[in-house]
Amino acid sequence: MKKLLIALLAVSVFTSCKKDDVGPPNYGDYIVAVSPIASTGVADYLLTAATLDEGSVTTRGHGVEQDGTYRYYMTANNKFFSMLYGQGNPGAVTTYEITNGSLNKVSDFQSETVQAFASVNDDILLMKISRNITNKLSNFYIVNTNSLLITSEGTINSAEPSNNGELAFSTWIRQVGDKVFAPYMSVKGCCGDAFGTAFPDSTWIAVYSYPQMKLEKVIKDNRTSFIGRYFVDGTAVDENGDFYAFSSAIAGDAQGIKTTKPSAIVRVNAGTTEFDQSYFLDFEEISGGYNITDWLYVGSGNFVVFMTTREEKGLYAVGKVLGVVNVYNKEFRMVSGLPNKADINSVTTTNYSKLNGVGYVGFTLKEGTSYIYKIDAATASATQGLRVEGGTITAIAKLN
Amino acid sequence: MKQSNKIIVIICMLLGVFNAVAQQTTQIFRGQVLSGGQPVSNANIQIDKQILHSDEQGLFSFPAEVGETINIQITAVGMHILKQRVVVEATEKGSRSFTLKKADQQIEEVEVIGHTKVQEVNRQAYNVTAIDATKLYNTTLDISGALDKVAGIRVRESGGVGSNFNLSLNGFSGNHVRYFVDGIPMDNFGSSFQINNIPINIADRVEVYKGVVPMWLGSDALGGAINIVTADRFRNFVDVSYSYGSFNTHRTVLNAAVTSKQGLTFQLNAFQNYSDNDYKVTVEAADIYTGAYEKDAVVRRFHDKYHNESVIAQVGFVDKSFADRLLVGVILGQNYKEIQTGARMRSVFGQWHRRGSTVMPTLKYKKTDLVKGLDLIVNANYNLGKEQNIDTVNVRYDWYGTSKPNGTNGERARQHYIYKNNEGLATANLNYRMGERHSLALSNVFSTFNRKGHDELNPTNATYELPQKTDKNILGLGYTYGIRDVWTTTVFGKFITQHNESGTQDTTHNRFGYGLASAYFVSPNFQLKTSYELTNRMPTPYEMFGDVENQEANANLKPESSHNVNLGANYSFAANEDHNFVVGSSLIYRYATDFIYNRLNNNQSKLVADNREGVETWGADADARYSYKSWLTVGGSVTYQYLQNKQKYEPNYTNISPLYNDQMPNIPYLFGHADASVIFNDFLTKGNTLNVGYNLLYVHEFYLYWPSRGGQKLYVPKQFTHDFNVVYSLADSRYNIGLEAKNVTNAKVYDNFSLQKPGRAFYVNLRYFINK
Repeated sequence: MKKLLIALLAVSVFTSCKKDDVGPPNYGDYIVAVSPIASTGVADYLLTAATLDEGSVTTRGHGVEQDGTYRYYMTANNKFFSMLYGQGNPGAVTTYEITNGSLNKVSDFQSETVQAFASVNDDILLMKISRNITNKLSNFYIVNTNSLLITSEGTINSAEPSNNGELAFSTWIRQVGDKVFAPYMSVKGCCGDAFGTAFPDSTWIAVYSYPQMKLEKVIKDNRTSFIGRYFVDGTAVDENGDFYAFSSAIAGDAQGIKTTKPSAIVRVNAGTTEFDQSYFLDFEEISGGYNITDWLYVGSGNFVVFMTTREEKGLYAVGKVLGVVNVYNKEFRMVSGLPNKADINSVTTTNYSKLNGVGYVGFTLKEGTSYIYKIDAATASATQGLRVEGGTITAIAKLN
Repeated sequence: MKQSNKIIVIICMLLGVFNAVAQQTTQIFRGQVLSGGQPVSNANIQIDKQILHSDEQGLFSFPAEVGETINIQITAVGMHILKQRVVVEATEKGSRSFTLKKADQQIEEVEVIGHTKVQEVNRQAYNVTAIDATKLYNTTLDISGALDKVAGIRVRESGGVGSNFNLSLNGFSGNHVRYFVDGIPMDNFGSSFQINNIPINIADRVEVYKGVVPMWLGSDALGGAINIVTADRFRNFVDVSYSYGSFNTHRTVLNAAVTSKQGLTFQLNAFQNYSDNDYKVTVEAADIYTGAYEKDAVVRRFHDKYHNESVIAQVGFVDKSFADRLLVGVILGQNYKEIQTGARMRSVFGQWHRRGSTVMPTLKYKKTDLVKGLDLIVNANYNLGKEQNIDTVNVRYDWYGTSKPNGTNGERARQHYIYKNNEGLATANLNYRMGERHSLALSNVFSTFNRKGHDELNPTNATYELPQKTDKNILGLGYTYGIRDVWTTTVFGKFITQHNESGTQDTTHNRFGYGLASAYFVSPNFQLKTSYELTNRMPTPYEMFGDVENQEANANLKPESSHNVNLGANYSFAANEDHNFVVGSSLIYRYATDFIYNRLNNNQSKLVADNREGVETWGADADARYSYKSWLTVGGSVTYQYLQNKQKYEPNYTNISPLYNDQMPNIPYLFGHADASVIFNDFLTKGNTLNVGYNLLYVHEFYLYWPSRGGQKLYVPKQFTHDFNVVYSLADSRYNIGLEAKNVTNAKVYDNFSLQKPGRAFYVNLRYFINK
C-alpha cells in the first residue's frame, strides 16, 4: 500500500522545463518589435539584428519582453521609445539604448496615453487629443530626450483651429523649421459619430510655435480632404525642408465616406506657412485609382506608399499593396517582388529608411512567418530580407 | 485540541402540539447525535428494522407511539456501537445523554484527520477536501485564506484586505470554480459578500470539490466547487471575536443563535472588515510633473482603504413536523473600496473608488421524510443591492501621492455609474432513499440576471439602455448506490439551458453533461476514489456584460466544456499508538474545449473573457499529516499542474501556431504549504490551552507571458512566507486570545505581476464563545 502511495507521489514529479537550444541572439543596432500571433498572454518582444537585408530572428527564447502589446515606437536622439497605448489609463513610456548590440532599459516613466508624438529639436512632443466636444482642451507634454524628464506641459484648445463647431483632431504632428505642424481632421466629437464631420472636402494644418505651443495660424486648402488618418502620420519633410502630406480622402460621417475629393499629395514649401497652390499630385489619377493609407519617406522625393483600391477604401483599411511615388516628378510605379496580396496578413506601420532611396517594410504572411522586405525606390523592386519568426512585426528601427 | 473520545447522544423529545389524549397517540420522536459537544452527521441509526441517518446537525426523527419501547442502535465512523432502549413517554421533556467508550485504535486516527464530520465529507466518492473551520476560529483568516492551504488551491490576491482575488483550483480559476453557502450558489451575492471578506468563523467547514461537482450542488462549475457550510450546530450560542492589527485593520465577527424549545429560532451572523491597507511597496515610480524616474522607490499605498459590513439574519422554525428547517432571512451588506492601481502598479489612482450593497431576502426550507425516504430542500433569494463605480475627479496621480489635472475624463473613465444586477435564484432538491443502498436525487437551479443602471454624469448615454439579461436553468438527476464503508458510486446527468439578451443579440445555449464518481475502501484506512465528468459551463453575466470596473464585456462568449478525470487515494496509519499519519494524493486530467479564460485587453487596462480552443491539464497533488499523541501535528501539501495550450491554429493564420503546446502563461504551477502546531493542554491552569503554530507558503515563480517567447522575460517571482501564531484559550475555550505574525521575514510577495502584497504584519485576536 505504501508503495502505491509512493508511486502516486512519483507521478506528481513533473515534466521538467524543456528549454530547447534556441541559438545565439542576433546582436546589432537594428530593432524589430514583434508581437506573437495569439490572442492571449501577448507581449511585444524587442529583438536586435545586425542587418535587415538577410538572416533571421525569432522570439523563441529571444527578445526583451515588453509588458503588453498595443505599443507604439519611435526613435529620437539615438534612443528607442516604447509607448503603451492605455486608453484612459496612464500611458507608460519605456526608453532603451543599444550598447554592444543589446538593448538596455534607461527609463520607464508614466505619461498620458497619447494619440500623436514626434521628435522636435532635442525633445519628443506628445499629444493627448480630445475627441469629445464637451471637452475642448487637448494636452501636450514635452519630454527632453537627454534628461528623460518632462520639461513642459500644457493644453491647447482643439476647437480653436477648426472654428466650425467641430473639434480639430490632429492626425499627427511634425516639426517644420521651428514650428510644429499639426494637420487635423475636423470631427464632431459627439452624438455617436465622434469621428464624423460635416466638412469632408477640406485640408487643414494648425501651425504652433515651439515650445510654447501657441496657435499661430491655420492653413487651409480645398483641393483634397484632411491629411493623414487617425493615428497615422501623413506628413514628411524632404532634404530641402519642404513639407509634403497626403490625404486618403476618407472624410465622412457615420453613413460613410462623404468627400468628393481625390486622395492626393500637397506641399508647403520651406519657410512658408501656406499650401503651395502650384503643386498638387492627384494620386488616384496617377496610380490608376489607388489611394494612400500610409507612407514611408525614403529620400530624394521618393515615398513608398501603402495603398487600397477605391473599393477597399475605408477609415481604418490598411493598404497591403505598395507603390513608389516621386513627389518631384510625380512618377508612380507599383513595387514588384512583394508577396501576393492574398498571402499577406498584415503590413508593418512603423518602418525604417536611412533616406538613401531604400525602405524596409515588414510583412506578416497568413501562414505565420514575417519578413522584412527591402524596397529600392530607383527600381521599384522589393527583395526579401530578414526573416522574423514567431509573430507580427510591429516596428522596425535603428539606433547608433 | 484534544477531542472527547466519547460520544454523547442526546435525544430530545419534543411533543406534538395537540398533546396526548390517549395511550395510542403517535409522536414524532426526535434525537440528536453529538460527539464532544458537537453534532455527528451521517451517523447510522437503526430503530428496530428501520435505518436512519443523522443530518448535518446530528438530528434524526421517526414516528413512535407513546409508551412504546424502542431499541436504538447508533453507529458512526470510528465510534463504538451504541445500543440503547428508550421508552417513549408522553410528558417527557428535555434530553437524555448516552455515553460511549471509544472503539479501538482507529479513533486515534480519526483525531489525526480532524473533525469526524469533516472526515465524513472526505469519504465521499468525489475528489473532495473539507477544511475544519472550527480549528481556525482564533485566527484572522477569511475563507480565501483558509482555502489557500488546501492542496491544489492557490488564491491569488491583488493586494491587502478586500482586494480582488482569483482562486485557482487544479489550474482552473475564475468562474470555472463556483462558490456556495450551504449548497446555495453565491453567484448573485454581490461584492459585499465574497469569499475574501467572509470570515472563517461564519463557517463550520469548507468543502472543496475538485473537478467533478456533486449533482446536488446543481451548478455548471467546471473546475470545481467550494461549499461553505455555516456553523449552525448549536441551538443556542454566542461566538464573538475582534481583531486588530497592522495597517489599521479591524475585524469583528458575531455569530449567535437562540432556539426555543418549541423550535422557534433566530440566527445572526454579522461581520465587519476595515483596513487602510497602507502597506509599503517597492515600485518603479516617476514624478507626475517631471517624469523623474526612480527604479526601486519605497512608497506607502495611499488610496487603498477597504471596509465592509454584513449581517445575515434568519428567523424561523427548526425541527417541526412541517419542516426540519424553515427560515426566512435577509443578507444585508455594504462595502467601500478605494482603487489604488490598475492591472499594473504603474497605473496609480488616488480618488477612484467603488461602493456596493447587498439587500437580499432569503428563504430556506428543508424537510426530510416528506414521505418515507423523500427529502426536499428549497432555497430562494433575490439581490436588491446595487453597485457603484465612482471616478469623478479629473486628475492623474503618481506614487508619491502628487496629482495634477489631466483633462476631463476622470482618472480612468469619468463616470458615476450606479447599477443593479437584479439577480434572483431558486433551487429545489429532491432526494429519495430506497432502502439503505439506493438513492435518487433530482435538482433544479434557476437563476436570473438583468442589469439596469445609469451614469449620473452622462444620463443620456445610450449604451446603458441596451438589454443585459440572462437566465439559466440547470436540471440534474443522479443515482447513488452505496454500501456503507465499502464503496459508493454515483452516476448523474445535467441539462443546462441559458438564454442571453445583449443589446440586439439574442442567444440560447443548451448543453448536456454527465458523469460518474466512485469510491472504494480497500481497507477501513485506505480509500480509492475515481471520477469522470463531461461538464459544461456557461458564460457568467459578469463575463458577458463586464463588471464596470476591470472586466470588459464579451457578449460573444461560448459555453465551455471539459472532460474531467480524477483519481485519488487516502491512507491513514499509525507507526505505534503515539505516531499517526495520514497521507493523500490525487491525480487530475482535464481537457477543456472553448476554454474560457481572462486575458488582458490589448492595452493592459482591463480583463476580458475569451474562448481558447483547447487547454489540457495534467496535475498531481499530495498532502500528508503527522501527529504525535495529542499535542503535536505537522502537515503539508504540494501541488503541481501543467496546463498546455492546445489551440493549434490562431485565427487568420494557416500554419501551426508557434504557441501550440506551450505552457499556459501567468498561472502558478508549483506550490505548497507546510504547517506545524504544538498544543499545551492545561497550560498554567487546568482547562486552559496554549497552541503555538507555524505556517509556510511557497509558490514557485512563473512567467507572465508565454514561456517559449522572449529572452529577457517578465515573471512573477517565487513567494516564500512564514507565519506564526499563538493562541491561548481559557476556560475550555470560552475565552481566546490569539497573536499572529504574518510574513515575518517581510518578503516581497506577489500573486499577480507587479501587484505587491503586504509585508510583515501583526494581529491580535480576541474571541469569546459560549453555547448551551
